[in-house]
Amino acid sequence: MLKRIWFIFLRDIRINLRELMTVYMLVIPLILAVGINFLSPGINDTSVNLVLVKDENPEQAAYFDDFAHVQLMDNQQEVEYRIAERDDVLGVLAGDNGYYILAQGNEPESVVEYARLLNVLYESEVKLEDARSEIIEFGRTAPPLKKMLVNILLLLITMLAGMLISMNILEEKVDQTVAAINVTPTTRKAFILGKGFTGMFVAIISSIAVILITGFYSINIGQAVLVILSVTIISLVIGFLQGLNSDDFMEAAGSVKLLFLPMAGSIAGYEFVKGNWQIFFYWSPFYWAYRANDMILSKSGSWPQLILYVGIILVICGGIYALLARRIVRGLQ
Amino acid sequence: MIKVKGLYHSYLKDGKYAVKDVNFEVGEGEIFGFLGPSGAGKSTTQGILTGLLQLQKGDVTVAGYDIKNISRKMFNKIGVSFEQSNVYNKMTAKENLSFYARLFDVETRDPLELIELVGLKGKENIKTGEFSKGMKHRLVFARSMINNPTMWFLDEPTTGLDPAIAAAIKDIIKDRNKMGVTVFLTTHNMYIADELCDRVGFIVEGEIKLIDSPKNLKLQYGEKLVEVEYTQNGSVKKDCFSTILQKDKDALNKIINEKEILTMHTKEATLEEIFIKVTGRELV
Repeated sequence: MLKRIWFIFLRDIRINLRELMTVYMLVIPLILAVGINFLSPGINDTSVNLVLVKDENPEQAAYFDDFAHVQLMDNQQEVEYRIAERDDVLGVLAGDNGYYILAQGNEPESVVEYARLLNVLYESEVKLEDARSEIIEFGRTAPPLKKMLVNILLLLITMLAGMLISMNILEEKVDQTVAAINVTPTTRKAFILGKGFTGMFVAIISSIAVILITGFYSINIGQAVLVILSVTIISLVIGFLQGLNSDDFMEAAGSVKLLFLPMAGSIAGYEFVKGNWQIFFYWSPFYWAYRANDMILSKSGSWPQLILYVGIILVICGGIYALLARRIVRGLQ
Repeated sequence: MIKVKGLYHSYLKDGKYAVKDVNFEVGEGEIFGFLGPSGAGKSTTQGILTGLLQLQKGDVTVAGYDIKNISRKMFNKIGVSFEQSNVYNKMTAKENLSFYARLFDVETRDPLELIELVGLKGKENIKTGEFSKGMKHRLVFARSMINNPTMWFLDEPTTGLDPAIAAAIKDIIKDRNKMGVTVFLTTHNMYIADELCDRVGFIVEGEIKLIDSPKNLKLQYGEKLVEVEYTQNGSVKKDCFSTILQKDKDALNKIINEKEILTMHTKEATLEEIFIKVTGRELV
């Protein structure tokens, strides 16, 4: 059976890579991931960028480096050129009466004030160890906007996987090739798994690519893949069903897009609805997937918590599959 | 090779049967023709025999396998050529056959050899979406041989093909049969059935009306006829006379003696004429 699943998968991938529409579907998450990088601050970026003259005051440069992103230039002229570039960068240069801040003038006031304060702290020889305040955090390690966009993109990938399945099933339907497969030793289970594996594979590869492109290298990618796989089941089931019930691709893709509604509702519910009202979203596998991904992207979750979320997703998706499985099998006859 | 006993099938399971009380057997190495008009139940029967339709009532064995508890291994032994040209349009002819070959557990034939056999040499690397209907049909026929089947189901194998290609397909069927392959041929083309089949079964409205060899059917139901063209009062007339009925024989004698004969041919009843005589239905 494994051999046949593999060959069905290979056939689908080969055909998908020949089609402009499917190549577009495979590439679009990656383009969106690059877009997220442009739109939101980088995960590892500090908010203040400083430029100093190399070797002018190494001790100062080392001190600033603990609190800001420091760039060193060969001389003052190069610092000035760097400041003139489009991004928000401030220069800290030696003057007749101590150090001064060089700016374009359009930088946010808070950034300029931060740079000034940092210089005062250095000149006052204040060290981090001198701080007495205790830090209690919510455990968020990533920029919230970026994390949310990446999380949405990961769920979108599962939808694209469903559309891909839908297209591949539709091809079988239009070419009437299911009957030909049914008179080979290939079981329906192998056929469904072969087709489904294509969607799963695309979902995994695209998700990992998106995670890496957006800079979330340090998260547990295995956990993310587990969540993506579990929630992809629902997209695959809907993709199968719509592929079998549709007559052309636009109809099938349009039907799969219906999943956007519960998906968008679940995301909005998690992000904007108060805790005690979130119970109304518990039915949605997308809600749990979004919640699990949020936890993974924040690096704040534990395996037992993740397994609980994945378990809930699998139970809901399994229930939906059980409801629709007969229609899928009947459609393949 | 095939045993069918008391076969019934209702699509809506409402007691309206597409096939009812169908009984027949096909021996090893035989070419059995299943003949009938559209909607007679031919495809339903073949669908059940090939496992595409679920067996509802009756006992069916194919190639030694009970269709009630169908084993996927059975498909290593059978080949099915569909009436519809069901190939992957986005794949080339060679890719279609190569992919299909990989789905079997037995030794398969070289796709290029089969492509050449059905007259598609040089087209192996062309996507089948660019093929004509006839070319696709030939590819489907070639595909049905990929696993060297010992039981071969052919549904209208020469439909839509030009006479030369149809003759080549018939030769392939004869050759495979000589090698011991059993053939179950579903068609409404009586000429191909007459030429190829050891026995034929007539099916109408889901019921088998009779099963026999074309030769026996002609002996049993076919009258020998003489078709005569002659002149009478300056005009040309055409009549047909039985060589068995005395009344016709006398009338024919009279014409020969009294009229000027223009043409005269003996005529044997065709399988189609016998079908109409037996079933009261035309093969449309």
